[in-house]
This record gives sequence, structure tokens and C-alpha cells, in this order.
Amino acid sequence: MRKSFLDVGRVNSEKLFARRFILLLTVLSILSLLLITRLYYLQVISYEHFDTLSETNRIKYIPTPPRRGIIYDRNNIVLAENSPLYSIEINLKEAKDIRKIIESVNEEILLTAQEIKIFHKKKLKYSHHNSIILKSNLTDSEIAKVLAIRYKHDGLDVTASLLREYPYKKITSHVLGHIGYIDKRDLSILNKKKYQNSKYIGKTGIEKYYEKQLHGSPGYKHVEINARGRQIRDIDEKPAIPGKDIYLTIDIELQEYMYSRLRGYTGSSVAINPKNGEILGIISVPAVDPNQKLWKLDFDQEQVSKLKSPMFNRATHGLYSPGSTIKPIMALNGLHRNIVSSSQEFYAGPFFQLPNNSRRFRDWKPKGHGVVDLEKSIIQSCDVYFYMLANNLGIEKISSFLKYFSFGSKTGIDMPHESKGVLPTNNWKLKNIGTNWTDGDTVITGIGQGYFLTTPLQLAYATSIIANKGSIVIPKLNKNSTPIRSNEILEKEDFLKNTISSEDWDTISNAMYKVVNQKNGTAYWTTRNKKNNISGKTGTVQVYELSQETDVRSKENMPDHLKDHSLYIGFAPRENPTIVIATVIENVGGGSKYAAPISNDIINYYLDKIREKTDE
Amino acid sequence: MNNRILGVTDFLLFSLIVLISVFGLILLYSATNQDIDIVIKQGIKLAFCFVLMLIIGSININKLKLLTPYIYLFCLVLLVVTLFWGHDSKGAKRWILFYGFSLQVSEILKIIVPMMLAWYISNYEDKEIEFKKLIISFIIVFIPIAFIVKQPDLGTSLIILLCGLITLFLSGVKNKHIKYLLGLFLIVTPLMWKFFLLPYQKQRIMTLIEPASDPLGSGYHIIQSKIAVGSGGFFGKGFLNGTQSQLEFLPERGTDFIFAVFAEEFGFFGILILFLFYLAIIIRCINIATRAKKYYAKILAGSLTSIFILLIVTNISMTIGLLPVVGVTLPLLSLGGSSLLSVFIAFGIMFSVSRRN
Repeated sequence: MRKSFLDVGRVNSEKLFARRFILLLTVLSILSLLLITRLYYLQVISYEHFDTLSETNRIKYIPTPPRRGIIYDRNNIVLAENSPLYSIEINLKEAKDIRKIIESVNEEILLTAQEIKIFHKKKLKYSHHNSIILKSNLTDSEIAKVLAIRYKHDGLDVTASLLREYPYKKITSHVLGHIGYIDKRDLSILNKKKYQNSKYIGKTGIEKYYEKQLHGSPGYKHVEINARGRQIRDIDEKPAIPGKDIYLTIDIELQEYMYSRLRGYTGSSVAINPKNGEILGIISVPAVDPNQKLWKLDFDQEQVSKLKSPMFNRATHGLYSPGSTIKPIMALNGLHRNIVSSSQEFYAGPFFQLPNNSRRFRDWKPKGHGVVDLEKSIIQSCDVYFYMLANNLGIEKISSFLKYFSFGSKTGIDMPHESKGVLPTNNWKLKNIGTNWTDGDTVITGIGQGYFLTTPLQLAYATSIIANKGSIVIPKLNKNSTPIRSNEILEKEDFLKNTISSEDWDTISNAMYKVVNQKNGTAYWTTRNKKNNISGKTGTVQVYELSQETDVRSKENMPDHLKDHSLYIGFAPRENPTIVIATVIENVGGGSKYAAPISNDIINYYLDKIREKTDE
Repeated sequence: MNNRILGVTDFLLFSLIVLISVFGLILLYSATNQDIDIVIKQGIKLAFCFVLMLIIGSININKLKLLTPYIYLFCLVLLVVTLFWGHDSKGAKRWILFYGFSLQVSEILKIIVPMMLAWYISNYEDKEIEFKKLIISFIIVFIPIAFIVKQPDLGTSLIILLCGLITLFLSGVKNKHIKYLLGLFLIVTPLMWKFFLLPYQKQRIMTLIEPASDPLGSGYHIIQSKIAVGSGGFFGKGFLNGTQSQLEFLPERGTDFIFAVFAEEFGFFGILILFLFYLAIIIRCINIATRAKKYYAKILAGSLTSIFILLIVTNISMTIGLLPVVGVTLPLLSLGGSSLLSVFIAFGIMFSVSRRN
């Protein structure tokens, strides 16, 4: 019997089977060995690689956002806190059909067209966020309804978060500012590690200035998740470090009172304790409720447009001519430079004229004040006296002196932004207006008109220096902060305290006292309560220049926006003052009619309250 | 062998099968997230399969040979039933529903086609396989395949083709013809790719080459499975402690990817032990095949043994990303009735063969 693998002729099938079976088994064995080699490679050699992959698969790192610090007033009354808030969120990455989700949510709880519109707007604006809030501030029944349909839609969720709440609403809106969604610009500057899971950041005011302290540091949680992302158990946790609470110098009762007096006007009022620079109250009106932005997702634009720029913080940014409120400092300048003496008398007619110039610089009093000295010029706010004084000083001497009171530079308050104002000089005018400074410009600077511009905060700050007779205290809002006193400030203080004689300080202080307490003072009738020995100075700023010929200052028929600004600065008590105020009210009329009575009421309210408390 | 109980003619083989099957139930408990209901249901199926195996084992192999063409025809009828009245799932008609049980006929054909070929060729034991016989053999293979491709189930079709080729190879196809077939294969494969494969089938093969190209889509299964196997390490994460399987990152844990569950929880060491058990089964089967007297029995036993190895190799290659996911289960361990049924029919035949020894 011939046996051959290459089956020629008759085949011994059994032998062939054996050979082929062995061949087949060999091939399969080789494949199996390769498989074992591969398994060895995966499980033993690459173990660490796959172990890491498996760990990252199942372990999720969840950053936990810190609780934002609470803001208190000086008496530990809460001004900004965190309250729990439930919102409907749509995860843009998980959601398959956003429109469908919104539709079915709408069927359950009825959304407003506005809410849907805002959602779509946010979706574009905050595309870097994973989840966008559709509706916030849900009621319990709304939460239940949405939770009931959540399982049907990937990406739909109800989340609980802590939301900022400002219980004093409009009253504290400018000073506290507000927090808002982290936007793309914030992302480019913030520490991404600290803000991993944070949605909000301070946008304005104290919330922005003290963002670092208020925010805190996020913690994290390692949780085990399954393939569907459901959390199975916690593995470890590092709790978030809550943000630091901040105690402000604001006295919320005073702030409330100030707001109640300014409500309805456009303007600002700043009250400072001149001893330590603590801001007792700082108001800018009109204002909007900052809670609205967070709870309703946006301000009611219609409301906002009705008001006169309510987002603008007039206290730190509003630029106003100081008007006659600058006169005490002008007078001090004249005394210090021996241009005038306190006993020197002048005749002040209805107007002042420069030599060889026909332009008449009119006094507010049509007939003029007659014979006046320095004190009387302040008490009665004689314009002609200060026209003359300014003319004799010249703009450079005026500017260099005003610098000591920090006009034209920032006060250093702990707010994110403030305006420097404008302290004009010849160079300034050349650079900014393009023409040379004229004597006429100098003359009107004497009564705080023209190019010279200040903020209400700067006015209050300067007034605190007058009240302190030269001591400079930098204004601050955080009770626990100590503003840095730069060399520049120390030099200024040295000049104000040591180079200016105390008699000169007394002269202008006395004059300011008499403004309120002597019968012919411009602010005498503004307060009947004389207990607190208020010193002050009124100011009226012309917004619209009357023609040279008109003597009458009747403004009955003047449109609102051309009416005068009403200003006032004041401090009390006369000896050892504890409160300084500066108030500006736009387009209402004279300083003695609006700003002065309101400011004096504020001062009396504060000092009476303190007296009551100490009496108790 | 006189100490046979019912169909059990090889007690060692029987013990090994029982051991692995019971272990399979325990592994299933882990793979199904400790769902005891599924395990019990599988246990019942297993018990049924055991009974069937013992019954087949007790049938004389010659009688089995006589029954072969009828069984083959019956399976073809079932394929027709599947085609017209089959159960639709995920776009494929592969199952017949029958009183709450589903039967995937194509699974059983992995055994029946080799059986039919063995029957056909063994009828001409002493003559060489000439061209005409080869053609008829291919018709036997391709009739069921045509139905299965239509379902569509290309993976199983290819496996059945391979099973048929194994039987033909063992039963003595001429070398000349083998060379022709190889040549034909080389020509047809690229044409198949171009004109015949459906996009999802191409996708499966592509993800095999580059699984990271679509990590959450079709590459997901392979990636997660490789992570499961690799992270098992040498000693494994321990029973019920496999994070990939317990946390459900691993897809198709009970069926196609049961090996990944095993590898994750018992590690490389566990795999070596499992392979030793499989090896023991295979050695017993080789023993049965080589000792078979009748040509039909010999070819069939040899084919079934080779197919058993082929299925293990294919399933594990699939699990660790060496082959596309073609839906081959791991014999004796995977969940599922039909594949279990075919494996136990095969072992029944092995017992029947060994009986005649």
C-alpha cells in the first residue's frame, strides 16, 4: 500500500487524516501560543498603562466650588449672602435636541418667551460652559414637575446652587456691585484652577475688588462612577475652603437713610468718618436691584432704559464741577500764599471784569454783595471775591494747591475703579482741548466752574482733609484693611499740617461753620437742628450758561436737563468732627435748596443716632 | 469502557465539561452585575443542554450517521423559518422565538455543516475527492451560508465556512485543489471588500486596525475590553471586583466579552489555569478522534475538536482586539442558549464517537 501526502492513486485516508489533523492542530496551537503571548503583553507588561486607563475610567474628579464670603456692614448686618437656588440646566454636550427639551419643559411649567430667548442668547455667549441655565429660582412644585420628565431627556437637569442675594437691593447696589456669569474675558485672566467649577465671579464694586478673598478655594471629590456616569460611591474628598467674609465700614442704617433721601433724584452722596477714612455711606442714584440680574438672569432692559444710566456709579465716576464748594480751599490757598488776608475787605459788585475785556463774570446775587471780607465771601458764597482771588493766584498756583487735596488723582478707595477727575493746567488744556489757557478760564475756576472736575468721593475726601485741618486719611470700605500711605501722601500731609498755619485752617473752618449757623449763611435755613454744629458749604453748578445780558436767574421754564446741579459739602461736629459728607444732585437747582438740606439731615440723623446709642 | 453512565463514555471529559460550565455560571454572576435571575435561567438552559448531550452521547454513532442528512435538512427548514418568521433585533433576523426561548439556528450549523460534510464524504471512503465531489461539498456548505448572509450575519457565515473547510481539509481534499482554493481566496477577498461588505461591517474591520479613531463609537467595545483585560494584571482584581465589568464599562459582558470579565477579575494567572482546563478537554477530544474506527466518526471528531479550538481562539482574539467583533462566543463560558446548545451537541457527538471505541 503506497501512502502519500500528495494523494496519488488510492489514498490511505486514515494516514492522511492523521497528518492533516496534526498539521491543523499545530497551526491552532501556534495561534494559541501567540494569543497567550499577547495576553502576557497586555496583562503583565502593559499592566500599568491599562490600570491607569481603568482607574481614570471609573474615577471622576469633581471640583466642589467654595462658598462665597458674606459681606457685612460695620454692625455685622448681612449685606450679601448666599441662599439656595434651584435651576433648570441644560447640558449642551449631552443634550441631543435642545429645542425638544425646552418644549417639554415648557409643557410642564410654562416658560416665558423672554426666558427662552435669554437661554438661546446665553447659549451663544457662554458656549464654553457645559451647562446653561434655562430657568432659575424654581418653586417646589416646578422642581417636582421637571424632575418627573428628566429621565426622558439626556442633558436636562435640576441643579441646586448657592446664589448671591443682596437683601438691601438698590440701596447697596453700587457699592457692593454684583457677581455674574464668568465670561470669556474673565476666563482669560483668572486662575483656572481656582475657578474650575465656579459659575460666578465678582463683576463690579466690592464683589469685584475683594473677589480673591470672597471666592475661597475649591475642594474636590473623587467618586466612583459607572459607565453611565452615575455616582456609585465617594472615594476621597478635600472640602472647599470657603471665601473670607468681609466687614464693611458702611453703616447700613445710615446708608438706608441716605438712599431714602436721594431716591427719585439723580446724583450721589458720600459720607466718611474723617478720623479713619471709613466710608459710612455711599450712594449713587438711580440704581437697579442687583438680585434681578441673578434671579431673572438679566436686568429688565426696559426698566433700565427708563432710568438715567443706573449702572453708572456716580460716587466714584460721576464728574462734576465742584462749584462754590471749592471756595473754602480757594480761600485757604489765598491765605497761605498771602494773596489775601482774612481782614482785607473788597467791594464786590454784580460782576467781575478782566482788564481790557468786555466779558462780565456775574455774581449769583444780581446786585452784588457790596463790601466783603474772606469770611463773608464764604458765608454768602460771593462769586466776585473768588473771581478776583483766582485771577490774582493764576491757574498754576491754583492747581498745585488743589493737588494737596488729591484733586486730579485717585483717592485710593478699595473699589475696582474710580475716576481721577480733571485738575486743569495750561498744559492740560493744550493737550486735551488744543487751545491755550486764558485768564477767563482761571477766573471761573475760582468758583469751581470750567474745566475743573471732581467726583463726589473726591469732594468728600477733600472735605475730610478740611475737617481734619490737614490730616489725610485715605477712604476705605473694608473695616479690616489699612490703606497704604504712600510717600506722596505723607509729603502732602506734611505740607498741609506744617506749612499751612493753623490760623488759616481756623479761618476757613469758622467760615464754613457760619455758612450753616449764621443767619446770612447760604445754608442757614437748610437745617433747624443746630445741635450738631455742622459746618458746610453749598455749591450750585451751572450746566447752561446764561446770556451776558440776562441778569435774572429765573429757571422756571428751563428744561430739566439744563437745570443747575445742586452740591454741598459738610462736616460735624465742629470740634473733633466724626462725619464728613459730599452730595451732588443733578439738574435740580441751587445747592442750598436740595443738596444742603438733604446732607444736613443725613449728618443729623447719623449724629443723633450715635448720641441716642451712647445715651442708652 | 464499561463504567459508562448513560452517554458518559469518557468520565474525565465529562468532569471537565461540568467543571467549566459550572464555573461559567459563577463567572456569569459577576458579568451580569450579580443578577441571580439571569444565572438561574442560564443554569436551566445548561441543565437542558446536559441532558441533550447525554442523549446524543448514548446514540450509536452509526445511527447518528444515518440521521445526519435529515438533521441537515431540518436545519435548512429552520433557516427558511428564520428568514420569513424570524425575530427582528438590531436590524438582523437571526432568531426563532419559541415559547419564550429564542433559537439562533446559525449557531447550530457550526456543528451540523461539518456533520453533513463528514456524512457525504465518508460515503465514498475509498475514493479520492474529485472535482465533482468538491463542488457538491461546497454546495452543502453554501446553501445554509446563503441564508445566514441574508439575515444578515456575515461573522457567523465566515465561521461556518471555516468549519466546513476544516472538515474538507481533514477528509482529504487534494492538495492541488487546496492551492486553487487559496488562489481563489486571494482574488475574491478584495472584490468582497469592494462590492459585498456593508458599511458597518467595514467599520468593524477598520476600528480593529485603529480603535482610537472612534473611541466612543464602534471602537468603544474594543478599547474598553482591552482596558479590562490589561488592568487585570497578573493575579486579577478578584471575583466581583473587576471595575470595568462591575461598573459596566465593558459591553456585552455576558456573551461576546465574557473572557474580558474573566481576564479582569482573575488575571493572567487565571487565564493560564483556564487554558490548562481547555487543553485537558482538547487532549481528551484528540484522543477520541484518533482512536475512532469509522471514517465518519474520525473526520467528525477531528473537525469538532479543531472547531472547538478555533472558537476559543477567535473569541479571545476578538476580546483583545486582534479580530473584528464577529459575534463568536467563548465555548462553555458565554451566556446564551444557541451557542451553548451547539457546543453540547458537539460534546454529545464526541461521547457517541468514544462509545464505539
